[in-house]
Amino acid sequence: MDSGPATSRAIEVRHHWREFCVAVAVWVAATSVICVLIWILADIAIRGLAEVNFGFLIEDVQDAGRVGGIGPIILSTGLILLVCLVVAVPLSFGTAIALTERLDKESWFARNVRRSLDVLAGVPSIVFGLFGNAFFAIALGLGYSILSGGLTLACMVLPILIRTSEQAIRAVPAEYRYAAAALGMKRTTILFRVVLPVAMPALAAGVVLSIGRALAETAALIFTSGYVARTPESLLDSGRSLSVHIYDLAMNVPGGGSKAYATACVLVVLLLAINAATALLLRLAGLHNRSTTGGSL
Amino acid sequence: MKSIIATSSLFLLCLTLVGCTSSPSTQSGSSELSGQLTLTGSSTVAPLATEIAKRFEQQHPKVRIDVQTGGSGKGIADVRLGVADIGMASRPLAADEADLTAHRIAADGVGLIVHDSNPIKELSQEQIIAIYTDKINNWKEVGGEDKEITVVHKAEGRATLEVFLKHFGIENPSVKGDVIVGENEHAVKTVAGTEGAIGYVSIGTAEADIESGVRIRLLPLDAVKANTENVASGAFPMSRPLNLVTANSPSPLASTFIQFCQSADVHDLVKSQYFVPITSESAVAK
Repeated sequence: MDSGPATSRAIEVRHHWREFCVAVAVWVAATSVICVLIWILADIAIRGLAEVNFGFLIEDVQDAGRVGGIGPIILSTGLILLVCLVVAVPLSFGTAIALTERLDKESWFARNVRRSLDVLAGVPSIVFGLFGNAFFAIALGLGYSILSGGLTLACMVLPILIRTSEQAIRAVPAEYRYAAAALGMKRTTILFRVVLPVAMPALAAGVVLSIGRALAETAALIFTSGYVARTPESLLDSGRSLSVHIYDLAMNVPGGGSKAYATACVLVVLLLAINAATALLLRLAGLHNRSTTGGSL
Repeated sequence: MKSIIATSSLFLLCLTLVGCTSSPSTQSGSSELSGQLTLTGSSTVAPLATEIAKRFEQQHPKVRIDVQTGGSGKGIADVRLGVADIGMASRPLAADEADLTAHRIAADGVGLIVHDSNPIKELSQEQIIAIYTDKINNWKEVGGEDKEITVVHKAEGRATLEVFLKHFGIENPSVKGDVIVGENEHAVKTVAGTEGAIGYVSIGTAEADIESGVRIRLLPLDAVKANTENVASGAFPMSRPLNLVTANSPSPLASTFIQFCQSADVHDLVKSQYFVPITSESAVAK
């Protein structure tokens, strides 16, 4: 170990130099990520914010989107998202519970469920769109409708939602389950009274990730929920989502650029609002959980 | 907290169910026309069809017209499958599509565009073919600056691509595109962002974009200026019809709608979408 003060200082200098390089590289990476985000937000805000006002949010689409607002489109987007979540959340939570609580982690069935989820997660969204068009719209006869679009989106977010839910439930310490079992609680009671409340913040985070993915989707929706920019009267009506509207304005409508940016502004604000709301919910849920678990354990 | 979330989601679900039950049976117009039409096809025609459909619905409140997109090919396939009542195609029907009927509602010219800093005045037919088949690679070979040519080409299935290939008599496999794009606006954005680029787009789209300050320029073709007036008069050589396509016996509602699309009542809508209305009776008869 003792190899003279000179070499040891040289090693120390080299060591410091390496530390310094790594620190700089890591900080540059992190800063550039933030810069990209700020750049995108600023670009959209500068080009689009001037067009956004209350009228824009509630008015009908006119002149192929060059004039008027995006009222029907916001409503359609909300309905598509609702259908998607109503279908995807119970399915995902159920599957996640089965994978974590009921099945052996290394069993044949569990491994294959996970493998098929990984395949699903890697499928490009346009493939989901074509599948949705062939299956929901044509084979099931739902046509171009909000229902078709919502169901297609549900298929698309399933992998991400199941994987995050599975991790959320798996992250609950096994000691909680042992303690509850030692008190003589039944398996289902443990699940609903101990495991799910503790996992709730992480479960909610997974749902928000899926909402983000669903809101941003264009390719899966253009052939399923369709292109009609009228106020939907039922879930069987075709309805244009925000992202499809942005795509159409930017790509098909000459002179639609400024409204495309305005719509993008609304979409980004929606996403940020959902993120903020979840952060708030998580904090509330976190406090709620801590007090109850502290009281009952 | 959990109960709040549960109640609010239940409430939202109820709202959508309410939406399901209310059917459009409250309105009662003076006309006897009622029913639903589905249109699919060309993304170029779709914005125009949407606007015409909106006006038609105002006149006949019991009628609902849904317009979807996907490209001319999809429109023709959907009409054959019976998924759509009317297809939209921004090209004439091909020989193997004789089982369908085309109804022309407007015209659109396809023009060549370059970046507006490009000093080139005009290209001959041979020069354009040579550029697109990769025989000429630099603007100085056709009398321009010493700058490499970026060829912007359309993806397979686009109607503008078919019009372009047919006009110049070239086969798609012999075209060597540097950039392959889909929609017109995509091509315009690519050319505006690349100084040495050349592309071809709908003249209406290009005019609208030039008006709003996008840095592109339309090149004349066979000494005819590329503008909507020359497309309307038929002087511009490279143009395409915008068609509604039906099976040979369309429903009465579909026929009425097609007649409305061809009438003078919608000329202002056609112009506002930067297309050229059909003017003469011969154009209606194709």
